[in-house]
Amino acid sequence: MRTLGTIGDAIRLDWRRILITGGLFALIFQVLMLVALMVRFQALPNYAVGYNWIGNVIHIIKSTPSWSDIPPIINQEWLIEIGKMNYDYGTGISEWSLNVVPVRMAVLFVLGALVALCGSFLRRDSCSVTTGTTLRATTGIGTILVAMTNATMSWVVCCAAPSWVVGLAMLGLGVSTSLALETMGPALNLAGFGLLLATVFFLAWRKTRDVKSIDGVLRHA
Amino acid sequence: MLMKLNLKSALLAATLIPLGAMAHAEKISIAVGHQSMCTDTYTAGIIIKELGLLEKHLPTDGEYADAEYDISWADYSSGGPITNQMLANKLNFGVMGDYPLIVNGAKFQETDSLRTVYVAGTGYNLKGSGNGIVVPVDSDIYSIDQLKGKEVSTPVGSAAWGMLLKAMQDNNIPSDEYVLKNQSPAVGAANIAAGKIDAHSDFCPWSEIMEFRGTGRKIYDGSETGVPYLHGVVVRQDFAEEYPEVVQAFIKAVYEAGEWIRADPMTAVTEMESWTGVEKEVLYLYFSEGGHLTLEPSIKTEWIDALKFNHGVLVAEKAIPPLDFDEWITEDYLKVAYAELGVDYEADKAKMVDPAVANKGLPSQIWHPRDGVSSYGTLPEFLKSVADMQATGTNLNSTYVYDVETGLKLFGKTAFWVKAGDDYATFLRKGEAETFAAANAGNLVTFAEAVAEFSTDS
Repeated sequence: MRTLGTIGDAIRLDWRRILITGGLFALIFQVLMLVALMVRFQALPNYAVGYNWIGNVIHIIKSTPSWSDIPPIINQEWLIEIGKMNYDYGTGISEWSLNVVPVRMAVLFVLGALVALCGSFLRRDSCSVTTGTTLRATTGIGTILVAMTNATMSWVVCCAAPSWVVGLAMLGLGVSTSLALETMGPALNLAGFGLLLATVFFLAWRKTRDVKSIDGVLRHA
Repeated sequence: MLMKLNLKSALLAATLIPLGAMAHAEKISIAVGHQSMCTDTYTAGIIIKELGLLEKHLPTDGEYADAEYDISWADYSSGGPITNQMLANKLNFGVMGDYPLIVNGAKFQETDSLRTVYVAGTGYNLKGSGNGIVVPVDSDIYSIDQLKGKEVSTPVGSAAWGMLLKAMQDNNIPSDEYVLKNQSPAVGAANIAAGKIDAHSDFCPWSEIMEFRGTGRKIYDGSETGVPYLHGVVVRQDFAEEYPEVVQAFIKAVYEAGEWIRADPMTAVTEMESWTGVEKEVLYLYFSEGGHLTLEPSIKTEWIDALKFNHGVLVAEKAIPPLDFDEWITEDYLKVAYAELGVDYEADKAKMVDPAVANKGLPSQIWHPRDGVSSYGTLPEFLKSVADMQATGTNLNSTYVYDVETGLKLFGKTAFWVKAGDDYATFLRKGEAETFAAANAGNLVTFAEAVAEFSTDS
């Protein structure tokens, strides 16, 4: 309970930094994905489409009778699609694209905020260099897992809709292997968040313990 | 469940009543997802759209007397995104091939509250033609067994992918003996043209586009799997239940689109070329008499069997959810639509066109750029006319012959020709042409060599 209080105190103290980091993280991640696509395919995007995300979400809520069906459908809704269209055949086929998906942006925002919170604790933590490095590495691994599984790129070689495995395929992993890993996405995503939350709790617990320890010394002085 | 709905209704009422009040009470939005680069969907897609056939058949009396229709069409390059858009209720109707149809039905049945119904077919080939495996035109690969150790691409999840898996299984080529790549039709076709891939498996009409453009050569036709290749129409069940007459109108439009093609295939494919960008000569291979496609919206028992077979493939390969076919497939709308059109549904359902039987004796054809399509009862007459027309400097649009083995319509220039005595025979595959030549003391010749035999210059 005291640990949760410590986390609450840290958020209150640093909320601006946490919010800004979360927002910037989500935005910069979109830019990085687009740059990665352009570099990988050596081409600039030649089309962009904006979608009425709010209108679409309202429409989905109105027309889907069961609450449980709504989240997975909204999860697929795009805000912006930007990519390269091949017009050699018929009316054109999108070869690759970045799809800005608000639900995924929200996840990335939470990720950025958690990283900022970890950073906030680490800055004030007086742990040994080895422990500090381990904690930073854990935060980094958690961040990579969550960020990787929330990539929203599509590439015709991989898929007709955005998928996180496109990132793996672009890095050179075989398409078949990448597709085989696709179902592991939610588990990896949870593992990433699990690591980050564990790091936050560990750092908060240490901080709480340190405070208690200082209290103890004063009582026996 | 009731409480959940009540809570949801209350929330929606609070937030959405102002928006709902803005809508006209009698406005019926009809959104159709179709594929202008998939020939077998045209009778439920681009033709209805361009000819305004849905508008023609939509009900305008009774409950619909004050209805105001808002029809929208969205064009996709595959069926997958259509299903996603239908889930989001941005599309009411979806037109797609057999494998995506199954995914559509299964994905909807996976939800608690949403369903689609499969209400009509659009076109079929009894043996599976339309799908095909193509190699670069200069490749030394002539049969599927030569694909061992090669890279083969296909749009994964499509009918062509299912056909490729079955073809490989039928020919005892396990999946670890070839490299499967997932590629869209356009990229696959571009890679075949550039010789960047050993083979590409695709759906209609991509194999023929590659053959017509002279970049690819078909080594395997979907008909060899013996599994029917079909396309169809799915509708969100909530829409179908609310507006059954609209679904019936849509089916009437599908039927009329087929009639429009049958009435004048040459004009129809010329129009379709302007709408889709697919060459009319390629489309003629599908939509003319003896073409790959039979246009009957009726749902035949064989189709249900084929769809069940395809579902088994998808379950094994992609772990898709189960599909209750009895719940999903309905002929109710078809029967009403046929009755209102004055057409015997059961007779239409009983029809079954097998190209090997139906195309026997059909004439070969030449498409002249000025004079249109002419037909010839024998191959020597056909070759003589090609030679005469070419002698005038005419660049023919295309020529069409039939495969002796399967009855499939082929481009004259891509067929394997056998000359045996004074007669000729045409084949889809080189192996069968060689067997025929050996059995009939004949020899393989190219199309150009066969034509040259009849040239006055020779």
